[in-house]
Amino acid sequence: MKKAKRLLSVLLVLTMVVMLFAGCGTKEEETEYYSVIAKGFQHQFWQVVKKGSEQAAADLGVEIFFTGPEGESAIATQVDMINAELAKNPKAIALAALSTESVLSQLQEAADKGIPVIGFDSGVPNAPAGQISANASTDNENAAGLGAEHMYEAIKADIAAASVSSPVIVVILSQDATSASVTGRSKGFAEKMYALITADGQSAAITGDFAAITTGDVANSAVNVKIVVGATPDITDMTNAASGVLNTDNLLGVFCSNEGAVNGLLAAVNAGSTLGADVKVVGFDAGAGQKAAVRGGTFMGSITQDPFAIGYKAVELAVKAANGEAVSDVDTGAKWYDASNMDEPDIAQLLYD
Amino acid sequence: MLQTLKKVGMQKFLAFGALIIIYVFFAFTGKNFTSTATTLNILASSYYVGFLALGATFVIITGGIDLSLGALMMASALLGGALYRDMGFPLWLCMVIMVLFAMLVGLANGILVTKLKLPPFIATLGTMMIMLGLGSIITNTSSKYFPTILEPDGWFIRVFFKTKSGFPVGAVYLMVFFIITFIVLNKTKIGRYIFAIGNNEEAVRLSGIKVNLWKGMAYVITGLGVGLGSILYSATYIVVIPNTGNGIELQAIAAVVIGGTSLSGGVGSLTGTLIGVFIMSILKNGLISMSLPAPYQTFFTGIVVIGAVLMDVYRNKKANELKKIKA
Amino acid sequence: MEIPLLEMKGIDKWYPGVHALKKCSFSLLKGEIHALVGENGAGKSTLMNILTGIIPYSSGEIYLNSEIVVFNSPKQAQIAGISMVHQELNLMDNLTVAQNIFIGRESKGLFLNDESINKRTGELFKRLNFHIDPKEKVGNLSVSLRQIVEIAKAISYDAKIIIFDEPSATLTDVEITQLFKIMKELRSTGVSMIYISHRMDEIKRIADRVTVFRDGEYIGTQDAETVKIDEVIHMMVGRIIYEEHKKLSKIDKDTDVVLKVENFSSFDVKNVSFELRKGEILGFAGLIGAGRTELARLIFGADEKLSGNLYVNGKKTAINSPHKAVEHGIGYLSEDRKRYGLVVGMSVANNIVITKLKDFIKRQFINEKEITKITDEYIKKLDIKTPSAQRLVKSLSGGNQQKVIIAKWLLNDSGILIFDEPTRGIDVGAKSEIYKIMNNLAAMGKAIIMISSELPELIRMSDRVLVMCEGEHTATLNLEDINQNTIMKYATKN
Repeated sequence: MKKAKRLLSVLLVLTMVVMLFAGCGTKEEETEYYSVIAKGFQHQFWQVVKKGSEQAAADLGVEIFFTGPEGESAIATQVDMINAELAKNPKAIALAALSTESVLSQLQEAADKGIPVIGFDSGVPNAPAGQISANASTDNENAAGLGAEHMYEAIKADIAAASVSSPVIVVILSQDATSASVTGRSKGFAEKMYALITADGQSAAITGDFAAITTGDVANSAVNVKIVVGATPDITDMTNAASGVLNTDNLLGVFCSNEGAVNGLLAAVNAGSTLGADVKVVGFDAGAGQKAAVRGGTFMGSITQDPFAIGYKAVELAVKAANGEAVSDVDTGAKWYDASNMDEPDIAQLLYD
Repeated sequence: MLQTLKKVGMQKFLAFGALIIIYVFFAFTGKNFTSTATTLNILASSYYVGFLALGATFVIITGGIDLSLGALMMASALLGGALYRDMGFPLWLCMVIMVLFAMLVGLANGILVTKLKLPPFIATLGTMMIMLGLGSIITNTSSKYFPTILEPDGWFIRVFFKTKSGFPVGAVYLMVFFIITFIVLNKTKIGRYIFAIGNNEEAVRLSGIKVNLWKGMAYVITGLGVGLGSILYSATYIVVIPNTGNGIELQAIAAVVIGGTSLSGGVGSLTGTLIGVFIMSILKNGLISMSLPAPYQTFFTGIVVIGAVLMDVYRNKKANELKKIKA
Repeated sequence: MEIPLLEMKGIDKWYPGVHALKKCSFSLLKGEIHALVGENGAGKSTLMNILTGIIPYSSGEIYLNSEIVVFNSPKQAQIAGISMVHQELNLMDNLTVAQNIFIGRESKGLFLNDESINKRTGELFKRLNFHIDPKEKVGNLSVSLRQIVEIAKAISYDAKIIIFDEPSATLTDVEITQLFKIMKELRSTGVSMIYISHRMDEIKRIADRVTVFRDGEYIGTQDAETVKIDEVIHMMVGRIIYEEHKKLSKIDKDTDVVLKVENFSSFDVKNVSFELRKGEILGFAGLIGAGRTELARLIFGADEKLSGNLYVNGKKTAINSPHKAVEHGIGYLSEDRKRYGLVVGMSVANNIVITKLKDFIKRQFINEKEITKITDEYIKKLDIKTPSAQRLVKSLSGGNQQKVIIAKWLLNDSGILIFDEPTRGIDVGAKSEIYKIMNNLAAMGKAIIMISSELPELIRMSDRVLVMCEGEHTATLNLEDINQNTIMKYATKN
């Protein structure tokens, strides 16, 4: 008897909770609903993207749900999220896919249902024609190339002085080997660096963990442009990879291709690895740690995307596409910043924590 | 006898009741939660955890645990993907190898636990790490992807995930696997001995039964579940990334525990496990339909697990008191 | 001379550093009930475990029907027709009675047929004249019913030789009588039985011959009908047993009441009231399931009571947890020492000080030196046979384990001690030591409740006896009324 009473009271409380939620949750059917599915929340970058998209939603008077998996390797979680969002019949979806292959059936389903899909940040690379209405993204290869140009200027003399018998090395530290944005940056930097070196008549080779872009004969080159990928995207593995890089002989420069790689490098230095005074470090993105490193001179400078613009433009494109307007790709831009210019207003506004 | 029946009925009723309550909650609060699309999603996102959890129920009933589930599933999928993409094996052969590989690792777990007398927690923790590493080694730390709908082998998705019209075929396989495992656990010697071992291993040994054989069998059955799960996972998510998958075993174990299977062994039900799997799946989809971010899912799953175990403890206490009143 | 059915010759068993069996012999005739007695550690169980293939032996031979046999597993022994009723009930709680009895013999194929084994179990019980539902879960059965299931299981193997390892320790008198009847029936069909027991009276009641072991050695075999019990005891212990019968009680109406129980009720106990006086030993008598242990647990706060009041030293006291009971100076020595009384994997010293650990803390650290000093004192006082205070409790004999528990409660300065079956599984020599300790404690002014299923020891020890039957308090007997017949009369409500 006592038991039945207790069960009854539990049920009562539950019903009340249900009704409470029901009362406040479902009354907004009228506003236009958009889904924004990011790659994760791990980086401050995504938080700024979220701010941008929320700003756009406020400006345009639409309802959005900004979501993403717990990490950038959680493909299954992201696919489940896309499925769940499709079931909510949004007006349009903005998507930064962790992997194109894993979302192909979902893209097809969106197309069948007439839900436009907008790519943002890295978007959905190599998606079937017509299934992505437009992209709001940084051109990663160009952005990284900008970094290569700045680094080359600083190490030009050392490179000219190198020879096959006393070679030098430039390392690209990369957090993972799957995300198109990270691989694009590594590729963009490596190829730009290679082009600049060979244009000045020096011999060079690209080696390392991306088989697709290795080139040249490292044994007969004065400069080795090497790509290093962490064992896993975890900060601990990135730190280990960075320690290994810093122990390399004749190291001229390091390019960290995203904030994960930057944090790994900074953690390795904090843990006791020595960063030679002559080694030039170029970062990518703009977290608090990275900004301090640039301001303090540990990094010669960094490339920043405009995450706010990415988030803002993504929602803007989504709303346009949903309303049947013609949309096309938007470049959200990239900028070089270093200790000398980072407090200038046009740069500082891009450096969100 | 009547009392036993009542007890079993009560247990199922409670887990099922929780499922209904959670479903009704989201039906009120979620966006389009009761739609066919969401229902299909609930089924679809339960595929692989379902296979893992059904298999794991066997090991957990013996009083053991298998921490290698998630890592093994990924290693098996990576192996299949590597054979398919890099070696050009036909897809059907890759699938067969995936299942055999997982069963083999299950057997290895079984041998470690029975013949070599390692505690299951340690043995499978070791296997988990080995599998994480192995997955990276065989793929050279690159992700592998299974045929997409745009490729000739795209039937894979239609046969194992969803048909073009959206019918969740995977759920059919899950039900078939459930029925088969249900029969094995409840109607055959394997199941009888697995229950008996979980309750009193020494007594089973003294009854002249080959404890190692049947206990090892539980790990192989778990391996079978993992192997089949890896096929369904691959068809659902296409891309498999090295060094992922740990954490999935905890979802599977949570589903088993929610379903009323005792971690100390001897007590358990596959029907409960299936209900546990769907509770987790409903939570997953329901929280998204309420537009709550991913971390809430982990948070609420934790609450459900604790609630389920509390309910179990409370129920056992009451049952004992009832027994005394009757006696 | 009849050729024995089973003959074990020169069996030697070495454990690392221990010579457990020294060239032991044992023979069993066809259709004989052979009692096997000896103190704990005498080697009876080791010999039987060797016979049933559970443990290997170092040297020696086993002959069955004059043929040499080697059993490497219990299964092989079963096939040869030898099965054993284990003392530690080896049953699976979550399976039914029938499923337990026929485990390993369910069916030829992979699929189970519970109907068939239920039917066969039903027939078996009918033959044995026991009334247990084959479909009942074993976990729902009482200890004695489970013992019966275990016996039925052994019989179901159509065994030629059945070994009973102390079955009477958990059976009621009625059930023992029933068991003996079955054993006699089995004997008439030519089955041979080995009966291990601590109860001397049972040898006369059931056995044809009795074999005595001591310290891993075979001492001798006697005809059960002609041998004198004293002689058997003498063979077992190799010394004269110290026994003292209580002649008069020093307890009277003027002795202080230290514990007063008023209208205690729970699911198992119905409205029990009594008083316990200083220096008194109050016996709790009753059959198994009479609610004695349950009553003790209520007093100790281990279970929840539905109603009733408790007075300690005249003051009304609410005890709702063992922690509270200990605070009020009540100590409980559980019937299941290994499960509730001791941390067997820890040392003697740690077990003794466990409830008083806070007294041995010096500047946040445990003062091991002080612990050793106190422990050594108790080891001496209670004559605990252990090489050192650091020895693990699990390596001690049952009697010495019991003394460790007594030391624990003495250190705790408990004025009220509840002994629940204090001599269960303890050999004859150690029993009398426990009795001596209890009498000394009473003389020191401790008030003692003694629960025991062995009437002779209750009669010997108690100042008064409280008799229970099916949860009810049926009588309180004063010293002059304490005798076997009166107790049994009230214990069975006749």
